[in-house]
This record gives sequence, C-alpha cells and structure tokens, in this order.
Amino acid sequence: MAEKRIVLSNCEEIDPDNIETYLARDGFKAFERARHRMKPKDIVAEIKKSGLIGRGGAGFNCGLKWEIALNTKAKNKYLICNADEGEVGAFKDKYILQHNPFGLIEGMCIAGLAIGAQQAYIYLRTEYGFLYDHLYRAVAQARERGYLGQMDILVFEGAGSYICGEESALMNSIEGYRGEARYKPPYPPTHGLWGMPTIINNVETLMNVPHIIAKGAAWFNKMGTDRSKGTKVFSVSGDVKNPGVYELEMGSSLKELLDLAGADDVKGVQIGGSTGSILPASLLNTPLSHETYLGCGAVVVFNSTRDIIDIVYNNICFLSEESCGKCTPCREGTEVMLEIFGRLSRLEAEHANIKALEDVAKTMAVASLCGLGQAAAVPVLDSLKYFRDEYINRIEQSVFMRSYLGGEMSKA
Amino acid sequence: MSREVPSIPNSRTQLLPLLKHEFKKDGFISKEAMSAVAERTGLPLNEVYGVTTFYSYLPVSKKSKNVIRVCRCLPCALKGALGIIESIQKELDIAPGEATADGKFSFELINCIGACDQAPAIMINDQLFGNLTPDRITEILKSY
Amino acid sequence: MANVKLNIDGNKVKVREGTTILEAAEANGIEIPTLCHIKEQSPTGACRICVVEVVGSRTLAGACHTPVSEGMIVYTKSPKVVEARKIIIELMLTAHAGVCVNDPNAENCLLHNLASDYEVGAPRFNVRFPRYYPAEDMNRYVHRDLSKCILCQRCVRACADIAGKNILSIAYRGFRSKVVTGFDEPLDKEECRNCGICIQYCPTGALSTPIKAQSKAESIVQ
Repeated sequence: MAEKRIVLSNCEEIDPDNIETYLARDGFKAFERARHRMKPKDIVAEIKKSGLIGRGGAGFNCGLKWEIALNTKAKNKYLICNADEGEVGAFKDKYILQHNPFGLIEGMCIAGLAIGAQQAYIYLRTEYGFLYDHLYRAVAQARERGYLGQMDILVFEGAGSYICGEESALMNSIEGYRGEARYKPPYPPTHGLWGMPTIINNVETLMNVPHIIAKGAAWFNKMGTDRSKGTKVFSVSGDVKNPGVYELEMGSSLKELLDLAGADDVKGVQIGGSTGSILPASLLNTPLSHETYLGCGAVVVFNSTRDIIDIVYNNICFLSEESCGKCTPCREGTEVMLEIFGRLSRLEAEHANIKALEDVAKTMAVASLCGLGQAAAVPVLDSLKYFRDEYINRIEQSVFMRSYLGGEMSKA
Repeated sequence: MSREVPSIPNSRTQLLPLLKHEFKKDGFISKEAMSAVAERTGLPLNEVYGVTTFYSYLPVSKKSKNVIRVCRCLPCALKGALGIIESIQKELDIAPGEATADGKFSFELINCIGACDQAPAIMINDQLFGNLTPDRITEILKSY
Repeated sequence: MANVKLNIDGNKVKVREGTTILEAAEANGIEIPTLCHIKEQSPTGACRICVVEVVGSRTLAGACHTPVSEGMIVYTKSPKVVEARKIIIELMLTAHAGVCVNDPNAENCLLHNLASDYEVGAPRFNVRFPRYYPAEDMNRYVHRDLSKCILCQRCVRACADIAGKNILSIAYRGFRSKVVTGFDEPLDKEECRNCGICIQYCPTGALSTPIKAQSKAESIVQ
C-alpha cells in the first residue's frame, strides 16, 4: 500500500519559512471557517465526531478532552502543543516542525478557539533547539497576519528530560518545578497549568485538526479502524534500508510499513518507543492501530543477528536514567531490572532472575504513578513472552560459566 | 532572534528560561548563576539546585570548549554507536564522562535526540553529525 | 455538597464528594497503610504503599490522592494489593545501604514496621550501587543518615509547609535523587534551628536527633 500523506501533505511542498506558500495551498482556510462560521461547541463537536485520538502515544479521544476544557469555567485556559518527542525512535514531529510549522500553528489556533484559550505554549525539547528560531519566525508570521488574535503562542524550550513529555511532568516543567509526574485525577482539561483548564496535544494530533475542519468529520471517519480513525505518521529506523517518516492509514499492517521502509531480514520490531511492545516476525501481518500496537508510531526493526536481551537492556538503561524518581516502583524498579539485565549481559545471571523481573515488572505496571513506570514493564514482559528461550539460554550459559570457573561469579 | 525570557505572570515560571539563559552564557550553570537566579525568582537556593540538576542539559560543572555527545539509544546502538564511542575514545584518549587535559573536548553519552534515521548520530556542541562511520571521526574532530 | 456512595472491602460507605479513598476508609474504621502522606496536607503520591484495587481499573489507585466516585468498589487488602505492597516494600529495602537490625532507631522506623506487618524479609533484589551516603553529623539539631532515606519527600514538605523554612529540596533525577540543602551541602546552616519538625515527619531513621542532645525518644508524627 502506498503512503497516504494527509498530515504530511504540505511537507516538502511548501517553503517552511514562508507562510505565503502555505496560504497558497489553502492554508488557514479551515481556521477562517472555524473563526467566522463555527461556534466553539461546533468545533468541538466536529472533532469529537471525527473520532480523532491522540497521536503522541496515549490515544485519548481528542474531542472529548476539548469538550471538558470548554465546559470548565475558569479565568484562564491554556493550550499546550507537546513537541517534546523524547520517545526512542521517534522523529516524526521533528520532520513536521521542520517542514510545515504553519499546519501546526493553524491546528493550535483552531484548538484555541474551541476551548477558549488565551495562551498557548509549544513545549519544544531542547534537543530540537535548532528549530526554536524557525518556529519563532513561523509564529511571528502568523501573528502578523492576525491569526493569533485571541490566543498568543510562546515557544517554551525544555532542558533534556524524557519524562517531561508526559503531560503532568510537562506542566510541572513549565511551572518551574522539577519534571515530576502528578497524580491523576484531576486531569489537565479541568485542572492543568496553574490549576486552570489545559489541553495538551501532540504535534501530529494538532496537524490533523485543520484537515478535519476543512473536509469534515465524515471524511476523516472513513479512514482507519473502529477506534483509530484517520492516518498515522510512523518513524521507522533500525535494520531497514530506508529509515524515515511514513504516513499510512490506521489499520495498515506492520508488513506494509516495513515494505515501504525496506526491511528484508526481520527478527522482531519494537513499536512505540522504549516502553513499546516487542513483536516477533510471526506477527508481521498485525494491523497497526490503538486497538493492537501503536504508541507514538516509532518503529525500530531488528534483524536476525540481534540479541533481544541486548535490546531490552538498552530500553531499561534509558528508562532508569529518565525516570523522574518520585515514585518507589519506578525509581527502584527500573534500577533493579537494570541490575538483572547487566548480569544477563555478563553471563552472571541465575534462574531466579526471571521471576524477579516478572514480579518487578508486574508491580510497576499496576502501581507506578505515571505511564513511564507503568509501561516500562511492556518490553520486559513481551520479550519474556516471545523470546523466553533467549533468557533461558543466557541463564544456562551463566550457570555453566559459574560451575566451569569453580563456583565463582564470572568477572568477564 | 534571542531566546528572551518570556514574561509569564508567575515568577517561578521564569526559572527554567532563566537557567537556560545562564547556560547560554557560560556553557554550564555556576553556583553564582544559581544564586542570581534564586535572587531574581525569590526561591531558596536548594529549590533552584533541585530544578537545575533534574535536567540533562543543565550541567552544574564547567564543560570543555567542545562537548561531544554520542547517542546510545536503540536505533543508534543497532547501527554502530559502540564503534563510534570506541573510535572517539581511541582518538582523544578519554572515556565517556571524561574530558581532555587541554580542555578542548569533553565526552558524554546521551539519550535519543531524534536523529534515528541518520543513526549512528552524535552532537558536537550544537552541530549534528549523522550516518557516521568510525573512519570519519578523526577528520571531524580535527575541524574543532 | 453531594454525598457519594461507594463500597470499601464489602462495606457500604457514604461520604462527601471530593473525599479521598484514604479519608473515606479511615472514617469507616478501615486502615490503609501510608508512608509519604502527611495528614491534613495535600497528598504526594510518592511511596505508592497506599495503593488499593478499584474494580474496573487496570492499575491500582493511590488511596491518598484518588477521590471517591459514585458506585466505586474498592478492595484495600485484595491479593493483588497485598502482592504489590510487598514488592514495593521489598524495593524500598533493596537500595537501603546497611542492615537496620541492630539499629536502636529501628523500632521507630515505619518502614521496618510495615515490612514486619507484610512479612517482607531481606529483599531478593539488588541494585548496582546501594544508596550509600556517609552519615552527616555537622548540624547540632539534625543527624542525617541518607542511606536510610526512602525519598518520601515528607521532610521537604514539612520543612516548607509546616516549619515555613523551605531549606530542603529533592535534587538530581531517578534513582540518583537525593534530599539536599543549598547546593547539596551538609546540613550546617544557620536557617536550620532546632525546630525538629523534619525529624518528627521522617518515617525512617534517616533523620534523627543527635544522640548527645537526645533526652527522650521522639515519636514520629503520622
């Protein structure tokens, strides 16, 4: 199946530094329609009817979130575009920001009208700091043409923290606190930034908004699956010939995506980043949607020469470094899992390690404060499910090494 | 085009932008800088220190003239990050976490910077180098 | 304010809207263990000891911060809850540097008591570098042994909100997190003046009164 470029329709077709090129391709027409011919509740209704769900990984119903924010009475309301994209293997938002910042700004302006926000932030990860001036200029051009009348947009740069891509940690970061997660409820649409109604949407989610307003919810609805409407932008990397950004209809199979990216020798893939599911090659025909496996759409491919243990070890190394450290299960659990993977890697493991990993992972999955700890269990439990023999192999090698060296732990 | 400190109402909200401003000036956040920021925001020193040390890109110790950051996450690891780390180590005679004696280079490992389609990738200061091979390291480092 | 009807451990409970599960349980004689919670203050949600099972939810809910809802069915001691609590306690004990068996403060340690209640023995897990810090004795009023710190943030909040001093903060990130004062300096500050509040709120032996000044055993505030 070929790509279906809707979100990416203007990327590499317009000059991302010149708003005129975007306007020439019907840019901001959707916004004009929303501003002059729709009431806030109409905009919300259209987005709800479209079935648009979040594209950052959580997949929550966008229109529903907006409706709650619209209906919550408060002095100030805020809109945040989550451009933190810290997920391992994710670079789709970077591509969008580089090639069509105006589409994002238009989506934000429509969202602002829908919920009644007076101030918006683009939370930009510091690793994309080279895009700060570029975004600033794009916002300035939009402002010059009067598109930011009721809601101004500020680019707020992060400082290097994956957890700050999580919505509650993100808000703490903007407020000047450590990027620790917050307990929920309350949820941001009722109590967010400084306790005010706040909508936090991923870059790609907001990019869909002008298209839905211009072409209608029914048009959007026709694409995708039961619960995942529209298209999805994937970022594919790893053992593939053509790593890059691809946009496909929701429900397209993993194999279709891998064919586009040029993957010929596939042992497995990880979908959704460091906390994403690990799938063996036998599941290549799985349709990709929130009902199955999706996350943020980061797909890392590994071939038959790769060791699953090394891959999960790499994941856990990342997660333990990025854990905010507030809650016990995640702070201690990631470190405990890391220690075990270290021993698996050095052939110093033992059979009890598997139960230990399972116990810690299952506890983290149900007791952690936020999604990082809850989902850290996923690669561990998935790899134990589909590639258990690799773990057993390492442990048996460890047992052999110990007996071979006369009962001493291998230092190699 | 400067990253001006936004005039957001609450003084605490200025904390991160102020810290980043200090970082742009000195390449790290000194105790003097933290004290000045504490003064300006009306926060105690421990709060400023607590926020500063939370983030990966707000170091509190002085950095070398050029900071080499090698991504070690999965896509880069699959595409040969280890080889890049080893060749930098060989070229400069320092391990990750160390700095050269002449203060020219410091070397660290970082987490995903979103350049996965150009893996393995490194940053030297603000410059990205992607699709690297170990044999390119010598020429790249010579240009600094 | 509206009333909310829910069910906790098979008991029908009726409380005001906005009440947390913890408050609702306690008002009905059902005890849920906590470590990081300070009564009458807003919840923290750090220790996760108070997690309970809520029918219909995949994850366990922190009782200290989750508000009740109409028709909610809560189990505070189900096998799923007990299993999770045991492992959380085990995780807390893992990074502790040193064994507290011979520690005279151990009987005052709420973590020690909790481990005993839940029959959690020596942890089977390891970490690469246990949380070892040399004990700090410089301050006349507070003896700090951060090897026993469980990062519940009680001292930070007590110092800020109850003592009104705000000289403690959490620094660094993840497993390396630490309670610090100033730029992570030993607690030797003029601002810290024998209010003893952080000691009262510390649930473990991390903060205690220096032995020389101790005239009676401190009791830990719940």
